[in-house]
Amino acid sequence: MTAAALAFGPGAIALGGILAALRRTFRAGLGLQAAGAALTGAAGLAVLAAGGSHGAGFTSELHPRLGVDALSGFFLGTLGLVAAPALVFAQRYLEPDARGRATAALSSPFLLAMAGVVCARDPVTFLAGWESMTLVPATIILVARGADRRSRQTVFTYLAVTHLGGAGTWVSVLLLAGAGGIGNSAAAGAGSGLQAAVVLAALAGMGTKAGVMPLHVWLPRAHPIAPAPVSALMSGVMIKVALYALVRVVVEWAGPPPLWLGVLVLAAGALSALGGVVYALFQHDLKRLLALHSIENVGIILLGIGACLVLRARGAETWAAFALGAALLHTLNHALFKALLFLGAGAFERAAGSLELDRLGGLLRRMPWTGGAFLVGAAAIAGLPPLNGFASEWLTLQALLRVPAYGGVREGVAGALALAALAATAALAVLCFVKVVGLVLLGPPRREAVAAAEEAPAPMRAATAFLALACVALGAAPGLLFGPLAGLAPWAGPAPARAGLQLPGTGSLPAGGIALVLAGLAAALVLLRGRRSAAPAPTWACGQLVEPALAWSSAGFTKPLRLVLELVLRPEREVAGREAGGVLQEVAYRGHVPHLIDERLYRPVARLSLAGAARARRLQSGSLGVYVAYLIGLVVTVLAAARLGLVG
Amino acid sequence: MSGTALAAGAVQVGGGVALAPLLPGLVQHWKARLQGRRGPSPVQPFRELRRLFGKSAVTVEGTGPVYRLAPSAAAAAAATAVLLVPPAAAGPDWGVGHDALALAGLLALGRFAVAAAAWDAANGFSLMGASRDLTLSVFVEATLVLTLAVAALVSGTTDLRGVVAGTAGGHVWTSPALALGAIAFALVVLAETGRQPVDNPDTHLELTMIHEGPLLEYAGRDLAYLQWAAAARHWVVLVLGAQVFLPHADGVWWQLAALPGVLAALCAALAVTETLVAKMRVLLVPRLLAAGATLALLGVAAWVAGAP
Repeated sequence: MTAAALAFGPGAIALGGILAALRRTFRAGLGLQAAGAALTGAAGLAVLAAGGSHGAGFTSELHPRLGVDALSGFFLGTLGLVAAPALVFAQRYLEPDARGRATAALSSPFLLAMAGVVCARDPVTFLAGWESMTLVPATIILVARGADRRSRQTVFTYLAVTHLGGAGTWVSVLLLAGAGGIGNSAAAGAGSGLQAAVVLAALAGMGTKAGVMPLHVWLPRAHPIAPAPVSALMSGVMIKVALYALVRVVVEWAGPPPLWLGVLVLAAGALSALGGVVYALFQHDLKRLLALHSIENVGIILLGIGACLVLRARGAETWAAFALGAALLHTLNHALFKALLFLGAGAFERAAGSLELDRLGGLLRRMPWTGGAFLVGAAAIAGLPPLNGFASEWLTLQALLRVPAYGGVREGVAGALALAALAATAALAVLCFVKVVGLVLLGPPRREAVAAAEEAPAPMRAATAFLALACVALGAAPGLLFGPLAGLAPWAGPAPARAGLQLPGTGSLPAGGIALVLAGLAAALVLLRGRRSAAPAPTWACGQLVEPALAWSSAGFTKPLRLVLELVLRPEREVAGREAGGVLQEVAYRGHVPHLIDERLYRPVARLSLAGAARARRLQSGSLGVYVAYLIGLVVTVLAAARLGLVG
Repeated sequence: MSGTALAAGAVQVGGGVALAPLLPGLVQHWKARLQGRRGPSPVQPFRELRRLFGKSAVTVEGTGPVYRLAPSAAAAAAATAVLLVPPAAAGPDWGVGHDALALAGLLALGRFAVAAAAWDAANGFSLMGASRDLTLSVFVEATLVLTLAVAALVSGTTDLRGVVAGTAGGHVWTSPALALGAIAFALVVLAETGRQPVDNPDTHLELTMIHEGPLLEYAGRDLAYLQWAAAARHWVVLVLGAQVFLPHADGVWWQLAALPGVLAALCAALAVTETLVAKMRVLLVPRLLAAGATLALLGVAAWVAGAP
């Protein structure tokens, strides 16, 4: 049954890709892809629930093999849960013109490549899937955007950074395969140089693909310019597949790691979480903001993985397994709410024509279904009870708290710092998503086009509503998944699946109970309040007229934080006034928060390499005599070296 | 259910839900006395709540369901927080658990609801208050989680009943970790209750409001809910302060018996700080809270260094 679904699901995705390329069967093709993705995901979750594995086992030989075990099954489930609604959404979001058809057709190889990475059992299939997973979305962006200058530049950055960083993936996988360590955690040798090299290379390579700071530069550029369903797939699934690879290599195959590696992962996680959310706060474009939040959430997941590594190195195996479960649960949670938010953003863009935060507003009234689902997603990503983001952040906090409980002074302080960073990240995410919800969904509409926005068609509504329901359901019963996920750690036994989260040494989180109590109390209070209300009144502005020009903006709401963090962020502002006859006539204001990692890390590197390239180009003068001189020089050098016994 | 849990549950609901408004009332009363005024009676918040309950709410033009439901959501979050925090080392399970770290999420939910309502009303003063509140909350939440971590490490669990039991006696005098945590927690109390030097609850100038700002548009039962939620936050953080970070008796009955006196003493202490300390520049508050977070971090380091 499961095996058949695992074969038919990808088959349906492939067939759907072909059908979506034709105008007549465009929607049916997308629907077939969605069904295939749902089938694959369901089969994957069945494998996770049942344990065991299907297909081939892992091998370090270079023979293509495919198989599914519980961890692969979980990531296939994530793929299905995100891809099915995203493709249903795409049925109406994409127009059946040439670009839309090409996008719809290419989504099929994109899905198959990601499923291929997850199901690969040997280095060849893995690396082939890995590279296509990078190249196919690049093609989609170029096709969908019509290859204008900006998107070509972005795609170039994306490919350059992921390939330079992605070299780490090749190094780590091939090093492991060379030592026979694919699927064999004893091969690398605990504490050996090989283990450290494999883990560091994996962190660089897979970390680049997952968007870990400071290797994230491509992500906030590439994710926003893809069509909304593809953005959802990239943020929801692609970076999760990179995390799958990281978990496989670092947690499973590399064996028990030395302590410092765990602390390094904690540091990378804290930097990504805080850096992602802080820069997200100062964005003015909704999709770019969401892309930066992906970096934040990858950081939170890394905090869980880092806690797992440190705890395992300290011998606290039970809590190490819980920490891994927390990281994996947050992976799925983030996939769900980030896909929901990207799809919602796509619906808003379609209805209102722009995603500039300061030029939307009041969409909850115009689009109650999409807006309501978006509100749920925003509360979930902000880590608010009783939704799913809260459950996994609570678990991650608990895991980080165990780091000082089991550790020495240095790791203990690192764990406590990570704990504080996660708490601050959660509060910053609340600030950020209150701003997003306020500017997009609430208040008066800020443009005429927004005031005339229309609710999305039924398939798009269904997709966002499904994801919102999934967020609520996983928030009410996170334990159903957390038990099996914590059992995925190779050193842990199977864990029972319960609805709530009962962990030793905690006050336990009966998530369903909290949801019920919150909902029940709120409902009772709403009933008690009644509907009695005086005549409507305008908002209070000290008696002044409320003008649209005085409306609060994104920059205004985040100004206190910008001032508080001035020393770190170094915001730039320009105020220029024009005077005439001693009276100020006009004030022009421009504010900007530069991305410090871009400016301080990447710009000098890019400048140096360009300067080096310019130097190297001088060698190519084009004159034949110079080339002959090079050849003679080379021959003389080789001969001299041979004479001195340096070569040969 | 045991007798102690039953008694603790009665104190929890009676104190946290019904008598919570007495706490800000006491602070206001004593503050006025310290400043040489007669001031309002300690039960003034109850009179205000009764009066607000009879008044009709005001609908701001152009607002929607978020504005209408936010007070109920914020009050529900505060009530859940009251149910989460046991008043002693025992307490009935109300279905919400007793976990310390879950408290941070519930407090954040209340803030989210109120700030979203400020956006819906599109009121400049409300948004100013909400934006400042959320900015400060970044530092408050980090400090709160670190102080709770100190208490959890000392007592070996994040179950608040276990934390109350594990820190019982004069533990705070002998454990440097807990003492550092207590200083940091005092700052959290000032921030969560909106007291000087973080916020001035008596201000009537919209430009200086932090917690009061987002409530400007509300009236009637909506405002009553929000004022009650503020009082419930007083209860939650003061009970935590009394039963975790101050010396407290070992034994549920003694803890319950001493609680009213300790809470009154804490209210008196708040009245004294309100009288002695002036409000800080809002941009300097994060430094104060960051100093608190550093102290709590030192507390964790002290515990780890001292642990076997």
